Amino acid sequence: MKLLRHDLHTLTGVYALDAIEGSERDRFERHLHRCQPCGNEVRGLRETAGRLAVAVAGVPPPQLKERVLAAAARTRQLPPLAADRPQSRAERLQSGTEPLPPGTERPPPGTERPPPTAGRTWLPRLAAAFGAAGLAAAIVLGFALSSTQRQLDSARAQDKAISAVLTAPGARILTARSSVGGTGTVIVAVRQQKLIFTATGLPPLSAAKVYQLWLMGPPRIRSAGLLPPPAQGRTPPLLAAGLRAGDQVGVTVEPAGGTSQPTTTPILVMPVR
Amino acid sequence: MRASQPGPDPGGVGEPDLNWLLGHVARGDQGAFEAVYDRLAGPVYGLICKVVRDPAQSEEVAQEVLLEVWRSASRFDPARGSAATWVMTIAHRRAIDRVRSASAELQRDQKSAAATAVPAADEVAEAVEASLEAERVRRCLDSLTDVQRESISLAYYGGYSYREVSGLLSVALGTIKTRIRDGLIRLRDCMGVSW
Repeated sequence: MKLLRHDLHTLTGVYALDAIEGSERDRFERHLHRCQPCGNEVRGLRETAGRLAVAVAGVPPPQLKERVLAAAARTRQLPPLAADRPQSRAERLQSGTEPLPPGTERPPPGTERPPPTAGRTWLPRLAAAFGAAGLAAAIVLGFALSSTQRQLDSARAQDKAISAVLTAPGARILTARSSVGGTGTVIVAVRQQKLIFTATGLPPLSAAKVYQLWLMGPPRIRSAGLLPPPAQGRTPPLLAAGLRAGDQVGVTVEPAGGTSQPTTTPILVMPVR
Repeated sequence: MRASQPGPDPGGVGEPDLNWLLGHVARGDQGAFEAVYDRLAGPVYGLICKVVRDPAQSEEVAQEVLLEVWRSASRFDPARGSAATWVMTIAHRRAIDRVRSASAELQRDQKSAAATAVPAADEVAEAVEASLEAERVRRCLDSLTDVQRESISLAYYGGYSYREVSGLLSVALGTIKTRIRDGLIRLRDCMGVSW
């Protein structure tokens, strides 16, 4: 019996790779319910397998995205698994488990869940704060309309830092066209030594390449970070510090991961006056 | 611990935190779903192509998988693993379902499959270019013994059961089982997976 136990335990690896089938798989899954160390090990090995997937990432056909998004828009989602308590009918109605009978109405507003985009509540405040920096606000709010806004949402600290630059006294906006297409926009707050870079329409790069932002000063060129990959043609804002008067802001195409000094001709250069 | 904070993304696919995005997808946020798509469609499609081979079928399976992510996002439990891994697990299982059901009608040539299922050096080299994470994966794969690496590749990228792997490599079943486990544990430690 002891041997059998041991035998079962060594199945964690093949289970994590989905390389075990049929009754053997069922038996192992029953064992997993009872064996916490096995469960922990399977979790770690599954995460490991997940990284093997990242290593073979491919480029899906462009039409796939449209099809998937369209299919999602007309596909009802599963409700969460009820953890401890049965769902009320109102909850079922709301979560879409149960179709609305004809002629009935949605539950009254008081019983509704908070809207899914609670994380966006900073936006009106942000907008209000930007009376003066209208264009800057427009740029940031422009992101709010696309999915990239969520990237702002998810990095609250960065939001704060970005708003600080946008509202900084003397903050200026510069734009320039890149030599490969698309437009870069920089909001510079020289006194705060900070800048925000965003772009629209930069050509997408292969996974092996990345756009890198540089502060090009008379003494030396400093990396200001890698531009996040664009979503819907927009490059999410990148906040950079260490700006000095007299710097030029430049963008180059570099190998994935970036470099310490530019290795290609900048596709865009903007002097910061 | 890790589940609640947007820590380093296990898929190495980058910020923002996928767990957070999936929470929004579960509540019907189509914009969040699009962001998840942008982040994971590449690895999902790549993995499925690796297992299924045929591009048209791979595309079909990828669509099913990504739609499944939308449909069952509420079932994702961050306490049980990372979001990227949850999605990759769905993708891998669907890909395997596809090849196993297909193999009933169309016997795959096991020998030639064995030869191609193990990522060739240049294939791995391509992957290396894809990202720094891939580079680390390659280094870690290189640190395995041949049997460990081959059996993991055949099982994961080739979609073979460990019994099939045992046949393909002519290595005893029990040995394959332990080699796969030992190899994965080594990879896990090499990659610094902290689950």
